[in-house]
Amino acid sequence: MSVEKLPPKSPHWVYLFDAAFDNEIDYRVRLYDGDTYRHLGQIDAGFTAQFNLSPDGSKTAVATTYFSRGSRGTRTDLVEFTDNATLSPAGEIVLPNKRVMTAPNLFGVAYSEDGHFVYASYVTPAASFGVLDPTHLKVLSEIDTAGCVLVIPSGPNRVSSMCESGRLLTVTLDADGHESARTMSEPFFNPDTDPVFVQGIPIDKGYAFLSFLGEVHEVDFSGEKPAFAPVWSLVTAAEKGHWRPGAEQVGTIHRKLGRLYVPMHEGGEGTHKDGGTEIWVFDMATHKRLARWPVHASGLKNVLAVQVSQDPAPLLFAATADSEVAIFDALTGQMKHLEKHLGQTPWMMLNP
Amino acid sequence: MRSLDQIFEHSSRSLARRTSRRSLLGTLGQVLTGAALLPLLPIDRASRAQAAEGKPKASGPESCDYWKYCAIDGFLCSCCGGSSTSCPPGAAPSPITWIGTCHNPGDGRDYIISYNDCCGKTSCGNCECNRNEREKPPYRPSRNNDLNWCMANADANYHCSVSVILGVAEK
Repeated sequence: MSVEKLPPKSPHWVYLFDAAFDNEIDYRVRLYDGDTYRHLGQIDAGFTAQFNLSPDGSKTAVATTYFSRGSRGTRTDLVEFTDNATLSPAGEIVLPNKRVMTAPNLFGVAYSEDGHFVYASYVTPAASFGVLDPTHLKVLSEIDTAGCVLVIPSGPNRVSSMCESGRLLTVTLDADGHESARTMSEPFFNPDTDPVFVQGIPIDKGYAFLSFLGEVHEVDFSGEKPAFAPVWSLVTAAEKGHWRPGAEQVGTIHRKLGRLYVPMHEGGEGTHKDGGTEIWVFDMATHKRLARWPVHASGLKNVLAVQVSQDPAPLLFAATADSEVAIFDALTGQMKHLEKHLGQTPWMMLNP
Repeated sequence: MRSLDQIFEHSSRSLARRTSRRSLLGTLGQVLTGAALLPLLPIDRASRAQAAEGKPKASGPESCDYWKYCAIDGFLCSCCGGSSTSCPPGAAPSPITWIGTCHNPGDGRDYIISYNDCCGKTSCGNCECNRNEREKPPYRPSRNNDLNWCMANADANYHCSVSVILGVAEK
């Protein structure tokens, strides 16, 4: 009897976040290999968790909640760390019982760029965030964000949160993790007429946010204040309001190739979580649509999450409403493999 | 299920204990907007809302197509031992909610709906229903159905969701 060891890390691995919606106290992160089509291992993730990876990929941070009697009893919120070389626990930080409990996204828990801090979003529903020290495993501070939510990390010591007015609040921290300054941006989208999804898509200097109607808002977070690029659209004037993005993880970008992949569907207001019947491919430099891949017509259910590997021979992973995970050649759109059943509700994927 | 007045009274008190005055003004106000509507409803409007509950529907409260469920996300309590307005035995209503506006084809009116979660047991798993009319991301928490609205309950586990008519939406 022995215990398997993980092989060396591959860019074609993916961490698949399973929200286990039918039994929400049992979220998991599944590590899957897109070359061998094998499930390599699992990280347990508790109740309505959030997860993220350290900047060097060596650790997984899961922000979660446990109840002392399984489904009930004393509540404990915490961030649990896992050593990604062994998938074994590597410490925890107990939080105040304020952790945000929402659909998986990149900004429920996040590392600073240098890995020195971890930020945990709090919603009670009053909004704030915790600044954590992942080296000494302790909470350093709590920052009130005056109604703005989630933790978008930038640089070694800045955190931005999304406000209901369409602005970004940016808090700068001192060396001890306490607030030293804050700024509020101008609104960069209209939350009444065309809200953006909170599932940001990493770009070189920040994140792209897609709107319900298909506008692309690229935000540069590399400076003291966020900077907003001119907005462009995924859809033509004729398509607008008919074809739109929709999913849990609503886009992914191969940063070197400058290609954006978005699950798109035909539908009206209120269909923003319906998932894509097609995947549309765009060039980030020219904003031109390069391809439409009709995944629904190929027999897949609606695509709810996408992730592309960042290597020169990239794979596109697409998780569907039927717990399928399809693997495509991200350059051609050819489907290389269909994993018929991977978890229960796979709603977010991250590269290793 | 306790009356909504009891629920929201408890909500205000318990949240006041846990939040700063500023955040209470900034966030709680909007989250409880729908709650505040009910006591202000004129009697005739409130009774109209009650009547709307009982009118014949194209589909019933165990169906995701039911008109009141236009912004619900979760398991229908009607399929879990409760009803569209009451929690199953042993579950506890959430004092805080998200709000939707749904069109009732029975009388042609729009109604403001409070979606309370029922809490303290694990996911029911029956009649999953995810509809998102006018639903907004979590930076608009009072309109967001992704948040676990059992978050402020003593037992914060999510079981199922109900839909309670708060009143007629003014045009």
